[in-house]
Order: sequence, then structure tokens, then C-alpha cells
Amino acid sequence: MSNPLSSNDGQPPILVASNVDKTFDRTRALVGAHLELRPGEVHGLLGANGAGKSTLSKVISGHVVRDAGTLIYKGQPLNHRSTREALNAGIAIVMQETSLAADLSVLENIFLPELGRPGRLSYGSMRRRANDLLANLGHEHSLPLDVPVARLSAAQRQLVEIAKALALDADLIIFDEPTASLSPSEVERLFDVMARLRADGRALIFVSHRLEEVFAITDRVTIMREGSTVVASQDTASLTQSDLIRHMVGRDIGSLYATPALREEGNRGPVIFEVENLSTPPMVRSVSFAVRRGEILGLGGLVGAGRSETVEAIFGLRPRTAGTIRLDGRQITPRKPADAVRAGIGFVAEDRRVQNIVPDLSVKENVLLAHLGAHRGFGLGYGARQQKMAVLMGALGLPATRLLDASMLNFSGGMQQKIIIARWLLLDPRVLMLDEPTKGVDIGTRQAIYGILRGIAAEGVAVVVISSDFEELIGLCERVVVISDGYSIADMPSALLDEEKLTLLAAPRTSMARNTEVLTSLSDECGGAGFWALLDDDRLICLNSVVADDGASPGFAAGDAKHFAQTRIPTALGRREGLFVREADGGRATILVPLRSRRNHDLGWIGLTVPGSVAPPPAELVRQRIEALNVEAG
Amino acid sequence: MSKQVDLVAAKTNATGAVPTANGRPFLSRVFGQLEVRMLGLALILAVALSLMSPYFLTQPNIFNILDQSVVIGIVSIGMTFVILTGGIDLSVGSVAGLSGVVLGLALKSFSIPVAIMMGVGCGAIVGLLSGILIGYFGLAAFVVTLGMMAIGRSLAYIFSGQTAISGFPSGLSSVVYTSVLGIPSNVMFLGFAYLLAWGYLTYTKGGRTIYAVGSNKEAARAAGLGVLFYSILPYVVSGALAAVAITFSVAQILSVDPLTGNGMELDAIAAVVIGGASLYGGRGSILGTLIGVLIMVMIRNGLNLLGVSPFWQGSAIGGIIIVALLVERLVRSRTER
Repeated sequence: MSNPLSSNDGQPPILVASNVDKTFDRTRALVGAHLELRPGEVHGLLGANGAGKSTLSKVISGHVVRDAGTLIYKGQPLNHRSTREALNAGIAIVMQETSLAADLSVLENIFLPELGRPGRLSYGSMRRRANDLLANLGHEHSLPLDVPVARLSAAQRQLVEIAKALALDADLIIFDEPTASLSPSEVERLFDVMARLRADGRALIFVSHRLEEVFAITDRVTIMREGSTVVASQDTASLTQSDLIRHMVGRDIGSLYATPALREEGNRGPVIFEVENLSTPPMVRSVSFAVRRGEILGLGGLVGAGRSETVEAIFGLRPRTAGTIRLDGRQITPRKPADAVRAGIGFVAEDRRVQNIVPDLSVKENVLLAHLGAHRGFGLGYGARQQKMAVLMGALGLPATRLLDASMLNFSGGMQQKIIIARWLLLDPRVLMLDEPTKGVDIGTRQAIYGILRGIAAEGVAVVVISSDFEELIGLCERVVVISDGYSIADMPSALLDEEKLTLLAAPRTSMARNTEVLTSLSDECGGAGFWALLDDDRLICLNSVVADDGASPGFAAGDAKHFAQTRIPTALGRREGLFVREADGGRATILVPLRSRRNHDLGWIGLTVPGSVAPPPAELVRQRIEALNVEAG
Repeated sequence: MSKQVDLVAAKTNATGAVPTANGRPFLSRVFGQLEVRMLGLALILAVALSLMSPYFLTQPNIFNILDQSVVIGIVSIGMTFVILTGGIDLSVGSVAGLSGVVLGLALKSFSIPVAIMMGVGCGAIVGLLSGILIGYFGLAAFVVTLGMMAIGRSLAYIFSGQTAISGFPSGLSSVVYTSVLGIPSNVMFLGFAYLLAWGYLTYTKGGRTIYAVGSNKEAARAAGLGVLFYSILPYVVSGALAAVAITFSVAQILSVDPLTGNGMELDAIAAVVIGGASLYGGRGSILGTLIGVLIMVMIRNGLNLLGVSPFWQGSAIGGIIIVALLVERLVRSRTER
């Protein structure tokens, strides 16, 4: 696992982390993780959700104390037990969730670490330095220093967080998903700053989900999976996007999942639960999906894409500003969870301790909690559920005596989760929504939970599962709706998906705006339809499309996954030439140009289709336009 | 030693959980209950006081203790409801004073039952107001009821014209002194109220919802429970019961002055906490509160019998409250590790 490959550079590493272990409760967050960092490099740290990137970052920054392993920093073993020690050693971190003091001013926050040092503060010099730092980030005027941080937007807070790390003048700076709430131009600015720090000889760790950014700024990457390092310090240029994704998701799909077969159109059950254009700002802008009878539907996407907020809004935990919800064809409008429960919706929320477990009630009463919510009447009505509860407990493998335990907190995470699921099954719901149902759950219990979910789906319950574990999502669900930046952007059978495609679909595409602009201007000028798609041997997944002329529609839209034969431009898709290719029927003509990042990575294809009645523009012109996009996309 | 560890591990794997209550011996399970420990404390106190003062365990004094328990006991029921939801009601003393004044004024022009209802209604309305501010608008219970405490006392002074009101119809004292089977009606009412409150908190949807809201509000809401209603209800109950309690007191002394009920909130909170309730909510019982009330009253009664200066009594009661809280914290942190 250690990496002899990089030592030929001659530069001694500034930091070597080896065999780092960290266990939280029952979750093994890090299992023998490695990381090697040189001065003067930007080092990408990649991995799927929960792979251990943030934990490793926090071990290095002193926020988390490791259980085992060694850190060698500037040739000396580093055994810091606090962030203060890490700061003194010259290690700073830009956190994913901002760690600012909301009531203090921007200036005070930027120099927050200074407040912990003895001696007097010089506000005058702090002010000057803060202005310099913000100027570097392109915000010398837009971020007033005296405003309390509580009044700033998410993006502004992120910038303050970055300025705070820069103010430390550290030799090693960790950027843990710093771009999540930044606009593309702010990201550019940040990259300029990072490039300058790199030229200065600082060592930077860059944690990101956005592969485009990884290719744009990093020199080498380390990839983690399930707490271990699977790729150590590879040159970024030697890897392709699909290499990265393959390493991130791994290839060992066990027998855990019986991948559901794709059903034919006629064989599919009727829609029983339908959500249309749901909106609950700021996280959810427009989400639509439908669940058919007998089906498990997955909601895929990255953390923060708006998936949890979507189901919470359906369940009445968040106010909805738009959208309709239909159950068995009838519209329902749950304004509070009690409405949703009575309408027949069950919801297993993501955070067991905060949103599900009532610690002071017995296990039995916890199981009966949703019953109590649905129950009309003065008494408890527990008796009526006694029999069903006994059956459920048997099915879940929970001894009946354990029901009388005073607290659920002594059970394992998996057992707790089964009890919470039982709470809803007891009500015979029409719809069951589960947010990350297997988070922190051991493999055996996972299997049992999958079995339960498949069973109730077969009985006609509409099951909706949110999971950041794409392997699970594809293995468990028949169809996956992908949510990105608050929009449902794709709805496709999981038989057509693999984790790579799902990862690309889920990634928030920073260049999407520019991409749409170019597609729009192309299709407007030529009176056709522009699209951006991933192409397989005989299938495509469309990521974006702009249709100016219905006569030119290629037969697919953003979020569609189709065989070439199902589209209206099969010939052109098959040939993929840099020229306009006319279909056999003499109708549409299509040109396809590969989209590549600045570092020459495959980002799919841009296509332009014009109707048969219109003379195609010169192919050279189209290619130039798309290549201009290529340069920007890098 | 290691064998034992293995056994535990095996058991853990078999059931997916660490063995708890059922694995513990009976005695430690019984003494794990805070109510049981507090009942023990009450008994020790009773024995100690009877040794120190021969008058303590005589029938008149026992009736005396029960009689003195009525007002604080009734207020403590409402306080239990509030504290179970994780709130606090500092206004009960003032609400009692205000309701007492309202009752006194109403007795001048209305019949006794109507006047009592007006007093109790007044308490319930103040409680409703606090409940809405806390449950709906999300203000801190401590601050809202602190404000109500000041307002209630001030209104009591204004309505009463700063003087005691007396000259009530003599029929009022029958509220207290009617005896049924040799038990005075106020003690009878106390017992009845505790039985009712226990039944409500144990066997009704509302009662269990109050526990669930106090234990984990978010989970209760996500399970479809009526969190808003049951966050407000306890304050209404608390306000109304403060008024009921003061009715018994007024009926006994046939006079009410605007200072009535001063400091009552501290006695009630102390009784509830001694009874094992957690100020964080979700944990506590009505039986525990009853024991807490008896402990408070016995200490006060015993100190009086022993001729301890009233100035020292505050220290004694304050010390007991703090010790009870300390015990709760230690037990809690041990059971939750």
C-alpha cells in the first residue's frame, strides 16, 4: 500500500501519514489510511461519501485524535492532541461545515486562531492583512470586515473560512470541499490563490467530489475507499476520470444485491405514489418522481444535493413552496408529519439518535410511537397492535423480552434501525421513505433490511430509499432518480446504471451553466438541438440538452438513458465523426465532438442535430465553438 | 475474567445488543429506580424525625403533614407535566396569587362554584398564554414564565388594591373541612388528583406524548405526534392547578392577600426534581413527585417540631435539592455510558 513511486522526485515529503486507524463508536472510519504530501504540490484526496477523507483530514489537523498510526511532519513524528498544536506546527484546515463564530465579525473570525494566543491584538494590522487576504480572493470590497458572520451567505462564509486558513500562513493547508457553495468564478479565484501557495512551496490537500476540479488543480491524488487508501499519490495526469471513479467505488460488488431485472414497459405496475415539481427553497428547487407498485425507487445524489430535504418536505417536516404529491391518484397535502402518517406515509429519518429514537421510552413504546401518532382517541390503543408487533419482532429477530428494555440506546446501530423500521411497518403504510437506512449498520443487518424492503415492496408498498452508497442504490432499487443541486435531473432503471455513470450524473457540474449557454447559442444559430451526453458502445446517457427546433429533437432529453436504436439519430451516434452525419431516412443531420478537460480528460460528447430541412452549418464552425468550451471546461 | 468478557461478547453477537435490564440482579434493578431510592430517603427521614420528636408520628401530626402537602402537592402535579416536556414554570406562585385574588373578588358577587371556576379559569388562561409563547413561538420557557411571574404578581397587587381580601362566605370552608370516611376533603382531592395524573401520564396517548416530546421532540414530531398541542397543554394544566391549589388555601384561612403563593414555584420544582424528574425532560414520574412533596413537607414539619429557626430551614431544603440533583446526575451518567 505504501508508495515507492513518488520518491524519485527528490523532494522530501512534508507529511507522511501511515497506517492511520480511527473508530467512532462502531464505525471504522479509517483502517490503515496512508497519505504522503510534498511541499509545493496540490494533492487531491478523493473518495465516495463516507470513505474517510474528512476523518483523515481532521486527524492531520488535530480535530480528531487517531487511534493508531504515525504522522511524520517535516521529518519529525507529530503527535498533536489539539488543533492548537497543529496550528503551531503550521497546519491549517478549511472545513467542510464552516467552523465560524456566527456572532463575531468577519475580521474577528479571520483571526479567530489569534484570539487563542497570548498578548495584545493589533486590530489595525489585522485589518490590513484581512484586506490583503480578501483581495487575493477577489472580495476586497464585497465582504465588509465588521459585519457579523451570521449575516453572510453560505458562499461568503466559505470565503471567510478560507481567508481564516490563509491568515495562519501555514505550510500545510487542507481544503475540505471548499468549493461546495462557491460560484464558478469564485472557484477560479480560489484556484489562483492555491496555485500561488503551491508556487510558494506550501503543501495543499484538496478534498473534493468534483472531478473536474480535481483535474484542474491537483498534481497528485490519493483515493480512499471504506477508510483505506486504495490509490496512493498517483500523478493526476496519469489517470482518467473513469480510473478515478473506478477506484472510488471499487469493483467488488458482492452477492448482497440481487440486481433487479429491468421490467418491460407493459409489465410494470401502476403508479401509486407520485411527486411533481416539489420545491422547498433553498435546497430543493424542482424534484419529480413516481413510484410504481412493487417497486423500490432510489434517490441518488451527493450529500447536500437536496435529497433529504425532498423527503422531509413530502413528509411535512419542511414547508413546501410548490409541487403536488399524489397517493393512489389522489392529491395529498401533508402540512405536518401527523397528516402524512394518517395519509399512509412512513419516514425513517437519516439521523437515528436525533430524529428517530426516543431515549426515555422503552423499546416497546418506541416501536409503538408512530402508532401513537396515527392513533385517534384518548387511550393508547396498544392492545390492537400487540399481535402484529409480535409477528414483526419475530421477523426482525428481536426476542420479545427485549421489548421491555428501558432504552434503545444499548442496542447496536443495526438493531436500532430495525426497530425504527418496525415502528413504521406496524402501521401498514402505503409509502415508506427511508433516508440512508443502512448508515452505520453492519452487513448482516443490512441484508435483513434489504429483505424486509423487498418484501414490503412486493406486497405493494411504495418504497423510496435515499442512499449515498451508490452500490447499494443500484443493487437495491429498480429505478434511480438522481437529484443534483435541488433538481431531479435523471430517472433511469438501475439495470442501465453503474456506479461510474451514477457518479457522473450526480456530480454538480460547475460548467453546466456555460455548457447550457453554448448549447443554446449553437442550437439557436443553427435552428437545431444541442446536447451533452455520455456514450457507450450502443447506449447513451444524456446530461444536458437544449432543443430550439422540435423538428431536430434527437429523441432524448437530459437525464435520459437510451439505446442508440431508441433515439432518432442512431447512425450519427454510432459513427461519431467530426462531421455532420445524416440519418438513413435522409432526415436529421448530427455532428458529435468529444468534450475534453484542459488536461485532456474525457467528459463525454457534445452534439448538434439539425432538421433535414435545414442546411447544416460548416462543421468547422461547430467544432471551434465546442473546443472553445473545452478550454473553459478545463 | 476474560471468560466473562467472552460471554458478554457472545451474548452481544447473538442478540445484536448489550444485555441490559434483564441481565441485572433484581435488587440492583429495584434500587436503580430513583423513586425507590427517594422512597427510602423519605422513610429514613420519617424514622429519624420520629426518634428526634415523639410527636412526629402521632396521628394529628400525620394529618397535619398531609394537610400541609395539599397546596404544594397540587402545584407539583402541574409542574411535573411541564418539566416532563423539558420546560419549567416559574410563574405558578404568581399565578396562584393572581387566581386567589380573582377568586376573592369573585366571591363578592358570584356563588362559590362560579367564583372557584373563575379563579381556575384565570390560572388556565395565564398558562395558555405561556404555553403558546413557548410551544408556538419557541421562546425559552424560563424567560416566558419569569415574565409571567412578574406580571401575575403585579396584577395581583393591582386587582386586590394592595390589601388582603377577606370576609368570605363561611360555606367556602366546607371545600376543605368536609370529611369523607374520616379523611378531609382536601387530602381526598390530593389523592384523587395524583391518581388521575398518574393514569393520564401512563395510560393515555396524551400522557405518553408528553414524555416523548420531552425526551426527543424531533422524533416525536416525525412519528406524527401532536407536538405543538402537547407542548402547550402542560402549561395550561400547571396554571389551572396552581389556581386549584390556592383555592384550598383560601378556603382554609378565609382570606387572600396579593403576596399569596410567593416562592411556591421553588418548592414545586424542588419536589419534582427530588422525585426523580430530569430538567431536560422525558424522565420523571407522578409517583416520584408525590414522594418528593412528602419529603419536602416532612422536612419542614420536622424542623418546625424541633424548633429549628425558619432562617435555617431554607438552607436545609436547599441542601436537599442540590444533593438530590447530584444523585440524579451521577446515576444518569452511569446508566448512559
